[in-house]
Amino acid sequence: MEKVLEVKNLYATFTIQKKDYEVLHDISFSIKRNETVCVVGESGCGKSVTTLCIMQLLPKNGKIQSGSIILDGQDLLKLPKKEVRQYRGKKMGMIFQEPMTALNPLLTIGSQLKENIMLHRGLKKKEATDLALEYLKKVGIANPKERLRQYPFELSGGLRQRVLIAMVLSAQPDLLIADEPTTALDVTIQKQVLTLLNDLKKDMNAGILFITHDLGVVAEIADRVVVLYAGRKVEEGTTEQIFKNPLHPYTIGLMKAVPNVDLDEFEIKPIPGTFPNITEEIPGCRFNPRCPLSRECPLCTKEAPEMIEAEKGHFVACHLAKEEKR
Amino acid sequence: MSERKVLIKARKLKKYFDVAKNTKLKAVEDATFMIYEGEKFGVVGESGCGKSTLGRLILQLHSQTSGSCVYFGKSIQEINPRYLQKEIGKLKDYQTKAKELYQKSLKYDQKVKDLNAKRDELDIEISANDARLYDKLSKEIDKARYTSKEYKKNASRSLREGSRIVGSLILSGDLDKVTELFFKAEDEIKMAHDLLIKCNALRDRCHEIELKLHESETIDDKIKALETKEDKSDIEKFQLDDYLKIKKSINNLDVDALISESQKLSGEIDALEKEILKHRENEMAYRKEAFSYRDKNVLDITERCQDETYRRKLDANYETGINLSKLTRSEMRSIRKDMQMIFQDPAASLDPREAVGKAIEETFKINTKMPHKVRKEKTMQLLEKVGLKREHYYSYPHSLSGGQKQRVGIARAIALDPSFIVLDEAVSALDVSVQAQILELLDELIKEKHMTYFFITHDLGVVKHFCDRIMVMYLGHVCELAPAKELFKKRLHPYTESLLESVPRLTLLKDRKGQEKILEGEVPSAIHPPKGCPFHTRCQKCMDICTKIRPKYIEAEKDHFVACHLYGEKK
Repeated sequence: MEKVLEVKNLYATFTIQKKDYEVLHDISFSIKRNETVCVVGESGCGKSVTTLCIMQLLPKNGKIQSGSIILDGQDLLKLPKKEVRQYRGKKMGMIFQEPMTALNPLLTIGSQLKENIMLHRGLKKKEATDLALEYLKKVGIANPKERLRQYPFELSGGLRQRVLIAMVLSAQPDLLIADEPTTALDVTIQKQVLTLLNDLKKDMNAGILFITHDLGVVAEIADRVVVLYAGRKVEEGTTEQIFKNPLHPYTIGLMKAVPNVDLDEFEIKPIPGTFPNITEEIPGCRFNPRCPLSRECPLCTKEAPEMIEAEKGHFVACHLAKEEKR
Repeated sequence: MSERKVLIKARKLKKYFDVAKNTKLKAVEDATFMIYEGEKFGVVGESGCGKSTLGRLILQLHSQTSGSCVYFGKSIQEINPRYLQKEIGKLKDYQTKAKELYQKSLKYDQKVKDLNAKRDELDIEISANDARLYDKLSKEIDKARYTSKEYKKNASRSLREGSRIVGSLILSGDLDKVTELFFKAEDEIKMAHDLLIKCNALRDRCHEIELKLHESETIDDKIKALETKEDKSDIEKFQLDDYLKIKKSINNLDVDALISESQKLSGEIDALEKEILKHRENEMAYRKEAFSYRDKNVLDITERCQDETYRRKLDANYETGINLSKLTRSEMRSIRKDMQMIFQDPAASLDPREAVGKAIEETFKINTKMPHKVRKEKTMQLLEKVGLKREHYYSYPHSLSGGQKQRVGIARAIALDPSFIVLDEAVSALDVSVQAQILELLDELIKEKHMTYFFITHDLGVVKHFCDRIMVMYLGHVCELAPAKELFKKRLHPYTESLLESVPRLTLLKDRKGQEKILEGEVPSAIHPPKGCPFHTRCQKCMDICTKIRPKYIEAEKDHFVACHLYGEKK
């Protein structure tokens, strides 16, 4: 299958008080057409920064140091800023966490949708209206004709998120980036939105990059999973591999910390210690101060582990996993 | 599970917020439940279902619209609430009012009799005039009958109002005697209350002495330990200064005198405690005597009063606990020591310009008479207990992580050894790994201290494995209440069912059993809630009756309460 997006060896830094701190360290992954890739991690691990790098929307004190982001065969980092705008919105669309802040409260849903369609698809107003109606229907909004005339405040959170999805899809992007799109929603509404995304995936013909901190949501929607910890990729694999055979101690710890509704007996086991600040320097593996296994292995505190392929398509960055394989 | 002590009993708790003229937002509607001592009581629901409002209602941070919330953690003697005296005083008024009304109704009964007699004298068949008069009289009789009935009704209502105060006492004939007895019991409560305050003061003093003695024993070691240590940190230098100051003050102390004083005090405390016990026994005796009067049933105003079920209802009205909604502000403050709250956003509940230690110490400052040093020492102990370091006493909130801030919030809540804590989404804002740490800490604390949690959350996974019993709410209504394990095994209410279906789970899609049902539509507005069952607009098992009548809240199985028409009276 053809690759929609390929991120290779991405390094990014933030400047805080004239000092550079690394927020992304050697991140690589790729997304194929009709595939959903989930990026999971705790807050501060660099999930959102990854999406901002891809969209080229980093704040002023953030900078991409090296690496490449290849969308549809074109390296975005080599393009001048003006040309990136041709890609943003048209070839890659983004759904944000807070639908209310992403929509303009002064314009109707219809005008915002139409503007988007006219800009990216180059259609006339009348055709744009028809298309807007069609997309609203597609995302499961009842009586779309009335909705077009309504303002964002008249819609509930779930509906607003649907409108945003319709807006992004109407440009027919190759890549859909969803940054915690369901975190602000209630569980029943969250389920509706996730089901919608799963249904749409089939006829959208695009790749989805889904950011979340909720492992339950991952199980619901992902084909492949990338686990980030403190700016580093620690594990990557298909959803089945990650859930049934997690290799990195951090992934295993996460699985044990999330209360599982399906199990009758479950003891919540926390990961000890706290998540490191980006200003903290940790030699060796970034996870070693919290890792339950690192004491047995002298390498962990000295050397950063390399990414190895444990099974087909299942990558992990851990010294212990490497030893096991040998 | 048989001998569980009830801590909080809420009955038909309601809270309406005024949002506009003549428009009310029904945040909580008829919530009835009991919370037992030492349990972790979970409340789940979508946002806007009234779970937070309910938590605040219990703590009286909102005043309730109607219903009662009774707290059993403290005895009436300890608080001696003013409302009790007032209401017992009112009892007589109700009684006289009822009597008056009854007399009036009797007058009208007499009138009916007279009119009837008059009417019987008339001969309709002979005179047309008489016939007209007959009709007129009949009408008057009807009117009089109606008035009499109304008076009787009002009389019984007045009695019922009185009975609400002291339960079924109203059924007794000799109310003067009963009221007197109750006043006596009240006096005993007052005396016990005064003694208790004295006793507590003595206890505080005792504690102070103990701490001083303990300090004088250990201070040398502490100083030595710090002095020998090389490259001291700022904080440690600070501590050393403190210790040296303490030592100076200790040198002036007369240890023997302190010991003898503490022995004397403990003797006094024992004596006082005995006296308090005696007062309590007296009070109970008076109450018992008052209750013994009730069976005579002289007042025969309505037949309902003799009705067994009705009487039982009245009995239930008499509570030994404290009705929180009727307390005055100062009385509530004294209870609030026992009932604490932990908030969702740890950052927002701490003052950014105040050191963490000071924030915790403030609770001691306000609620106890501890001297400064004791407060500080206690605060540091608390910090250690919740998994922070003693040094954190001097740090400011901005230098702590989210999990650490929440730990400070917990330390502040448990500072006064409360018996009841409301945790309003206490772990929702935290990352999963930290969330698990905080849950573990909460679990340890509840085992160590005798506490009860009221755990509000939207995360079903957390409640399942953390709570003992779970209450599910929807649009201000209680849908279901059951022990945690049972709720997940056998869910009765369709809303619970679909809520559980929509939780994101750690099981892969293809491994899941059965067809998934997605709950359609959205939560209706609480300002204009649907008629009948609040859930009927989204329910897949909706019947005709659901759209018209609100389902009763019944115990469908043992310990398993549900409000749904599917589970009728059959069970």
